[in-house]
Amino acid sequence: MELETHEARVLLFLRERGRAWMEEVEKGEGMEHSAVMRAVLGLAERGYLSVEEERSFLLSLTPEGRRYAEEGLPERRMLEGLGEGKRVEELLSSGSREEATIALGWLRRKGLVEVRGGEVRPTPEGRRALSGRWPEEELLGRLLEEEVSLPGLTPEAELLRRRGLVEVREKTRRLLSLTEEGRRRAAEVRIQEEVTELTHELLVSGRWREVRFKRYDPSEGVPPLHPGRIHPQQRVIEEVREALLAMGFVEIKSRAVESEFWNFDALFQAQDHPAREIHSNFTLSRPSTTRLPPSLLRRVARAHERGVEGSTGWGYRFNPEISRRAVLCSQTTAATVRYLASHPRPPLKVFCIDRVYRHERIDYKHLAEFYQCEGIVMDEGLTFRDMLGYLKLILHTLGFREVRFRPGYFPFTEPSVEAEVYHPGRGEWVEVLGAGMFRPELLRPLGVRHPVLAWGIGLSRIVMMRLGLEDIRDLFCNDLEALQGWGLRGR
Amino acid sequence: MPTLSVSYEDFCSLLGERRGKEELCRKLALMGVEAEVSGEELRMEILHNRPDLLSPEGVARALRGFLGKGGGLPTYSLSPSGITVRVDPSVRGVRPFIAAGVVRGVRLSGEVVASLMQTQEKLHEFLGRRRKGSIGVYDLDTVEPPFTYTTVEPEGISFVPLDFGESLTPAQILRLHPKGREYGWILEGKRRYPLLVDRRGRVLSLPPIINSEETRVTEKTTSLFIDVTGEREREVQLGLVLMMTSLAERGFSLQSVRIRYPNRSVETPSLRPRRLELGEEEVREVLGLELGARRIASLLRRMGYGVEVRGKRLRVLAPPFRADLLHPVDLVEDVAIAYGYDRIPPRVKGVNTVGRKAWVEELSDRVRLVMVGLGFTEVMTYTLTNPGINFEMMRTKGEAVEIANPVSQELTILRTWLLPSLLQVLRSNKKHPLPQRIFEVGNVVLLDEGSETGAVERRRLGACVAGRPAGWSHVKAVVEAVLREFGIRPEVRAVEHPSFLEGRVAEFLWRGRRLGMAGEVHPEVLLHFELEHPVASLELEVEALGGEELKEGKGEG
Repeated sequence: MELETHEARVLLFLRERGRAWMEEVEKGEGMEHSAVMRAVLGLAERGYLSVEEERSFLLSLTPEGRRYAEEGLPERRMLEGLGEGKRVEELLSSGSREEATIALGWLRRKGLVEVRGGEVRPTPEGRRALSGRWPEEELLGRLLEEEVSLPGLTPEAELLRRRGLVEVREKTRRLLSLTEEGRRRAAEVRIQEEVTELTHELLVSGRWREVRFKRYDPSEGVPPLHPGRIHPQQRVIEEVREALLAMGFVEIKSRAVESEFWNFDALFQAQDHPAREIHSNFTLSRPSTTRLPPSLLRRVARAHERGVEGSTGWGYRFNPEISRRAVLCSQTTAATVRYLASHPRPPLKVFCIDRVYRHERIDYKHLAEFYQCEGIVMDEGLTFRDMLGYLKLILHTLGFREVRFRPGYFPFTEPSVEAEVYHPGRGEWVEVLGAGMFRPELLRPLGVRHPVLAWGIGLSRIVMMRLGLEDIRDLFCNDLEALQGWGLRGR
Repeated sequence: MPTLSVSYEDFCSLLGERRGKEELCRKLALMGVEAEVSGEELRMEILHNRPDLLSPEGVARALRGFLGKGGGLPTYSLSPSGITVRVDPSVRGVRPFIAAGVVRGVRLSGEVVASLMQTQEKLHEFLGRRRKGSIGVYDLDTVEPPFTYTTVEPEGISFVPLDFGESLTPAQILRLHPKGREYGWILEGKRRYPLLVDRRGRVLSLPPIINSEETRVTEKTTSLFIDVTGEREREVQLGLVLMMTSLAERGFSLQSVRIRYPNRSVETPSLRPRRLELGEEEVREVLGLELGARRIASLLRRMGYGVEVRGKRLRVLAPPFRADLLHPVDLVEDVAIAYGYDRIPPRVKGVNTVGRKAWVEELSDRVRLVMVGLGFTEVMTYTLTNPGINFEMMRTKGEAVEIANPVSQELTILRTWLLPSLLQVLRSNKKHPLPQRIFEVGNVVLLDEGSETGAVERRRLGACVAGRPAGWSHVKAVVEAVLREFGIRPEVRAVEHPSFLEGRVAEFLWRGRRLGMAGEVHPEVLLHFELEHPVASLELEVEALGGEELKEGKGEG
C-alpha cells in the first residue's frame, strides 16, 4: 500500500532513532501538528508503529505569580519583618492592606505565626522557616526560568495553583516507537518532496520528476476576475450599426450644437410649431447665433410662408433671426437633411446614430440626452410601398419577426407611418419606429427632385428591449458591479 | 401627443352604433388614432396635425366615414343669428382678432358639459396654449347682445371671474386667480387688457384668461355664445370652426355672428369647404398602388371629403376643419389610410449603395478594442454637465457651450473634457472593490468661433485607474500601448496643469500635433469628488490617431 508523503516522512524520522516524541517529529520535519497526527494514526492502524501516551502537567506563571517569584512571597516578607512580634493593626497598615491580609492569612495557615490578644508572634517553626527556602519558593524560582512539566501535581504545585499564582495545563505527549514491521517498511521508503508551484527552476533542472505536486481542492473559492468590457448600450448600438452597414447604408454624423434652421426650418417645421417651444428644446446663450447659407435660407423661408409648387405653405411670417439661433440638436433628422442638401442626387442611403438633446427632467421615463438612429433612402421611383418594405427589412434585420404599421404624423413627412413590433416577452406590440416620405416643401428648397424615404428608430427603446431594462436611466448605467454582472446577455 | 378621454357609451351613441371594444380600438388605430378602453373609459391619442379629432364628436364623425357609414363631405346648416360683435380699435396692439358664433337647441347633460370643457382645453393646447387663440363659451341667455370686443386698463373694471367668490379687477385676476397665474404671460407687457362686454357693459370675459361667473354654462343652458380671440385671424377662425362643428355632431344648430371691425365686417364662422385637386398619377407615384380615379374617390369619401371625378382627375372638397391640408400629398395620405396601411403590400426596390462606417466610429471601435484588451471597462456618461464639475472641482477655469434655458442647475453646459465625467463615475462606484479601471470613448464640445455653428465636437478617449497601480508610470504605459497600436511613437513633454500633481503630468505630441495628456490626479481634485484612493488618468484625441495613411482605401462618409 502506498504511503502518503506525510506518513513517509514520519517513518523516515523514526528510522534513525527507533522512537521519538511526536513533537520532536513536528519540529524535526517542520510539519503541522494535525498532519503528523493524521500520519501517525494511519501508520499505527497498519501496525508500523505503536503509540504510548503520557499525561503530564505543564506549569506556567500567572502575572501575579511572576511578581511574587521576583519579589518574594508576601508571607515571607511579613515574617522577615516581624521580629519578636507586632500588633495586627500595625502589620495591616503597612503597605497594601489587601496584600498584608493575604500574607497574615497564609502565615497563620502554615502555622508560622500565632495571634494572641491582637499581637502576632512567630512560632518556633516560623523562626526555623526563616533560614531555608520553602518548596513553593523553589518551584516559583524554577518557573521564572522555564515552563515546568510534572508527571503529577506535587503539594506545592497544587498550593500555587489554588493561590492563582500558577496556571496548569494538562498535556498528553505521545511517544512513537517503530514496530518490527515498521522498521522493515521504513527501510523501503524513498521520500518524495511535495511542492505547490511548478517553477522555472524545477522545470529546467528536471527536478519536477522527483517532486510531488500538492493536490488542490478544485471546489475551493478563488478571487473573482472580470474582463474589460464594452458598455451594454454601446454593444446594441454596434449591432444596429452593423445591420445598417450590411444593408448598404453609409454612416454620417450629426452635431451637438445646431442652428434652428437645420434642426427645424429645413425640416419644414413651422417656427410656431409646438415642438419648437422654449420648454421642448435647449436653446443656447453661448454660442447664441450661427451662420446659414443665405440662398437656401431664402428658399426655405418661401416654402414656409407660401409653400412650393402645389402647396399653400404654413402661411405665416418667417423670421430668419429665429433660424440663426443655436440649439442643442433635438433630432438627427438635422444631420440627414444637411447631407441631402449637399448630396441631392440619387441613389443614396445614409444613416446617423448620434446623441440628441431634449428639455426634460431626468426620470425613469425621460432623459435629457439620448441616442437616436435615423436614415434616408433616395432613388427614382420610390413609393410608400418601398417605405413599408424598407421598414420591414430593417426591423427583420434587427431580429423583429412580427411588424405592423399604422398612420403617424411628423411635420416633415407625408404619408407618415409608425411601425410596431411584437415583443414576445411582454406579450404586446411596441412602437419602435417612425417614418415617412419627406414632404415636397422640405425637398424642393434643397434642390431634391426624387422621393426620399425617411425613418427614425427609437434606439433607446430597442436597447431597453434588448437588455431587458425598465428604467430608461439604466441606458447610462455606470455601476461597475452591475456592468460586470451584465455578461453578454441581450444579443 | 394630446389625449382624449370619453365614456365608451357616449362614444357609441355619437358613432350611432355599438362596436366591440377591441374592434373599436383596432379600427381607430388604422385611422391613426391610438385607443384603449379601460373599464368604461375610452382613451385616445390624437396626432398633432388633426385638431378636428380633438373632440370625441370629431373622432366619431371621422370614424363613421372610415367604417363606410355616411362619409363624404359633412354638411352644416348655418343661419345668421343677427348678433353682432363690435371690435374697438384699441384691441389692435393687444389681441386684434375675434370670431364668434351661436349654438341653439342645446341639451347638455353633466357628461356633455365635461366633454365640452375637455374639447376646449385640448384646442387651447393646439392653439399655442391660448396664445394663438383662446375660446370662450357662454350661456347666451345670461347676457344681452350686441357685444363689444374692447380693451380696459388693468384696474379699469371689476367682475366676478369663474370659480371665484368675489369681484376682481383684471390686474387682480392676473395676480390671484389660478387661470390668471397660468396664462398671464400672454398679456405680459400690455398696458390694456382685452375685454368682451354686452350691451349693458356686463363682462363676458377677459380673454384669453377667464370668463365671468355670471355667464357660466350649466345643464340648464339652451343657447351657447362662443368666441375665439387671438393674434392671427386664420387660427381664430379655425378655432371657432373646430369648436362649432364638433357641437353640430350632437345635433345642435349653428348660427353665425357678424364681426364689425373699424373698417370692415365679416360673418363668422365660415363653413365653406376648401377646393383641392388630385390626379390618379399623383396617387400612383406616391403610394405605388394602381388605383383608378373612381376607387380613389370612394376612398376619399370615406375620409370625409366631397369628390367629383373628371376622367383621371378628381375635384376634392375638404371640410373647413381640415386645417392640415397643405399639398395634394396630404390627400394621398388619406387615400392610403382609407385603403388600410395593413393592406398595402410592402416592396423593396433595390437601391445600390455600398455601406460605410463613419471614420470616427471606426477609430472609436479600434480604441475600444485596445482598452478592453488592457482590462478597462467602458462607461457611458452625459455630455451635459455644469461648470462646478467641469471646471471648479477640477481647479480650472474655462468657457463652454452654455444652455440658456436649463432644466436644472446640474445640467447647464456641455463638457469640454472627459475626466470630470470619469471621476463622477468613480465617485458613484466607491462602494465597489479596487482597483477600478474605466474608460469612455465619447464627445466633448468646444466653443469655436470659426465654425458654422460656433462650436465643434471632438471624439476623445478618457480613462482612469483608481487604486493600485494608479501612478504616472502606469498611465504612461497605457497611453503608449494605445498609441503603439496606431503606429504612433509620441514625444512626451512635461507640463503644469492644476488638475494634476506637479511633476506628474505630461502631454503627448506627434508630428507637431497634440494628442492628449496623462497624469496623477491632484489630491484636492480627488477630495472634491470624495475619492479616497489615488487616481491616474489619460485623455486622448481619437481623431488624431487615424492619420490619412490609415484611412487610405476607407473613403470618407
